[in-house]
Amino acid sequence: MSSTFCFSGPEGLKSTEHPIVFIHGTGMDHTVWTLPIRYFLRKKRNVLGIDLPGHGRSKGKLLRTIPAMAEWLINYLDKLNVKEFSVVGHSMGSLIALETAALAQKRTKNLVLVGTAFPMAVSEALLNYAKDNKSEAIDILTFMGYSNPARLGRNTNPGIWMTGSTKKLLEKSGKGVIYQDLRACTEYGSGFESAKKVSANTLLILGKKDFLTPPLKANDLIKSFNNPEVKVIADSGHTLMIESPNTVLDYLIEVL
Amino acid sequence: MKDPKELKPDTLSLHAGQRPDPTTGARATPIYQTSSFVFDNSEIAAGIFNVERTGHVYSRITNPTNSVLEERISALEGGIGAIATSSGQAAMHLAISTIMDSGSHIIASNCLYGGSHNLLEYTFPRFGIDTTFIDFRDIDLVKKSFKENTRLVFGETLGNPGLDVMDIETISSISHDNGIPLLVDSTFTTPHLIRPFDLGADLIFHSATKFLSGHGVVIGGLLVDSGNFDWDKSGKYPQLTEPYEGFHNMIFTQEFGPAAFISRARKEGARDFGACMSPHTAFLVLQGIETLGLRMDRHVETTVKIVDYLNNHDLVEKVIYPTLPSHPDHNLASKLLGKGCGAVFTFELKGGREAGKAFIENLSIFSHLANVGDAKSLVIHPASTTHHRMDEDSLKKAGISEGTLRLSIGLEDREDLINDLELGFGAVKKISK
Repeated sequence: MSSTFCFSGPEGLKSTEHPIVFIHGTGMDHTVWTLPIRYFLRKKRNVLGIDLPGHGRSKGKLLRTIPAMAEWLINYLDKLNVKEFSVVGHSMGSLIALETAALAQKRTKNLVLVGTAFPMAVSEALLNYAKDNKSEAIDILTFMGYSNPARLGRNTNPGIWMTGSTKKLLEKSGKGVIYQDLRACTEYGSGFESAKKVSANTLLILGKKDFLTPPLKANDLIKSFNNPEVKVIADSGHTLMIESPNTVLDYLIEVL
Repeated sequence: MKDPKELKPDTLSLHAGQRPDPTTGARATPIYQTSSFVFDNSEIAAGIFNVERTGHVYSRITNPTNSVLEERISALEGGIGAIATSSGQAAMHLAISTIMDSGSHIIASNCLYGGSHNLLEYTFPRFGIDTTFIDFRDIDLVKKSFKENTRLVFGETLGNPGLDVMDIETISSISHDNGIPLLVDSTFTTPHLIRPFDLGADLIFHSATKFLSGHGVVIGGLLVDSGNFDWDKSGKYPQLTEPYEGFHNMIFTQEFGPAAFISRARKEGARDFGACMSPHTAFLVLQGIETLGLRMDRHVETTVKIVDYLNNHDLVEKVIYPTLPSHPDHNLASKLLGKGCGAVFTFELKGGREAGKAFIENLSIFSHLANVGDAKSLVIHPASTTHHRMDEDSLKKAGISEGTLRLSIGLEDREDLINDLELGFGAVKKISK
């Protein structure tokens, strides 16, 4: 517990009543969710911006599979005495959110998957780069993580170079973290079955120009859910919260 | 799958931070000459103020034209973000004021631009920030100069005016061993000649007045954050790691991760000190950066020829330029500055102050003024102008004598420049008779 970092605002978590749980993607941490977290805090909602074990500010051993990460999350929420919650995940975090919603059916009120697909297998070449901690792995994740136009910048967040900040965040991840995360995504096999078990309101937010999880690769997953809502952001790539932060927030507000 | 890579510098110089304007289709970056920006409604206004939505509020803090420039310099330097300021001095002030309080200490190179020297030697002590000036070539001295309250190490890629080449790798390594970031003034080199972040620097500032804009028409500065320095691990920067009352107890490292520094610099420094860049200035700097690579190559090429010409002239005591084997940092320059050592250098005329005066006053293409990095060639006498507040001892340490002249080589025809210098030498010959 104490080795886990969770951002709940400057004053910490005030109540465990129906928090919104935000889960980051491969090699990242809770800071990718700072903007929506700040919105929900202003609205007096309880928020948990999680750094997964071995990520960001959290200590602890890396978890090797998506189900193990989901079990860890549920265990973490149990220890906080959280009864019901909503969960939002990006990329690898979306798979963790999906698995969590399947394992904790009754407790999960809303499920939001951002930049998702199933299967989420990555190429052997990328895995090998990541295994050897080569910079190519970070380059691929960074530059394929954005739409082609966004690689030129024009961030709506003034003065921040999008690919530069994503690359830096990935570079700060510990040795082996990216490899373990990518392997967990690749090996995750129960996406369709888990989606069928989900009873929460479900929203998928996809980027039309996403190279890593193209909307086409989410089609079968979408069909596995019971009446999900799907939003496709036309101008966005995979890193939707950075490329289209205001649109993503608007969609989150609608469902959460 | 072809492995994607960062776009190359010549492409970034033209495109980073900008795409055709979605409303008008304008290809060039529009000048958003407005003080403020209309909110769609009260809720969105509250969201932008609370940093939960992105957008612009007021041009003192952000402006869309400036944002393009900030992204472009970040991309070229390999950084994560930047802030455009009203001058290079303002950028330096913003860097220091973001992470230093009264009672803290800076270790700085003793070969600095006169304005930077003034700020550190005379002005900041009034606010309780002291500086120790040392020779960065003396690595043992650098190591010994850290105090308990040291919070910043600062130098220039090419020191002013002796063109001391900073060993950025070594200095940054020592700084990091002490839990302190390295701030580098990269004005003379620009990202075309060297990228200090690749060598370990943590923060960079530019006087964009110089080579970045390149045409002597604006005053502006840029402060760039590498996102590399681990403020939490250092434990010496409560400005970034502890709640900031001025912004709802925000802890910058917790909320912005690698962008903690640049976020505080904007949310506090840009907001409260207000040394912002005009959008029109940002536009002109962007125009300059579009041709940065082409211009810098030409600046350097002509400079090397003129250095050679001067180095073989009877009336020249010595030329100080790092490509010359006589320069103390010749080997380091060969290692770090493969594309060249810039276009600003000094030389010492035989005949002292009077010779210098006669030389300058008889040039016609070189302009006698207090600037460098213009497309037009420039000349100045540092002892009586840019460094006139330094005492004799400080001047000597900075490598300046009565006969020292500084040239900034522009983009004119090389032969015309040499002919102009001949006019100066002709005048020196007359007075020496």
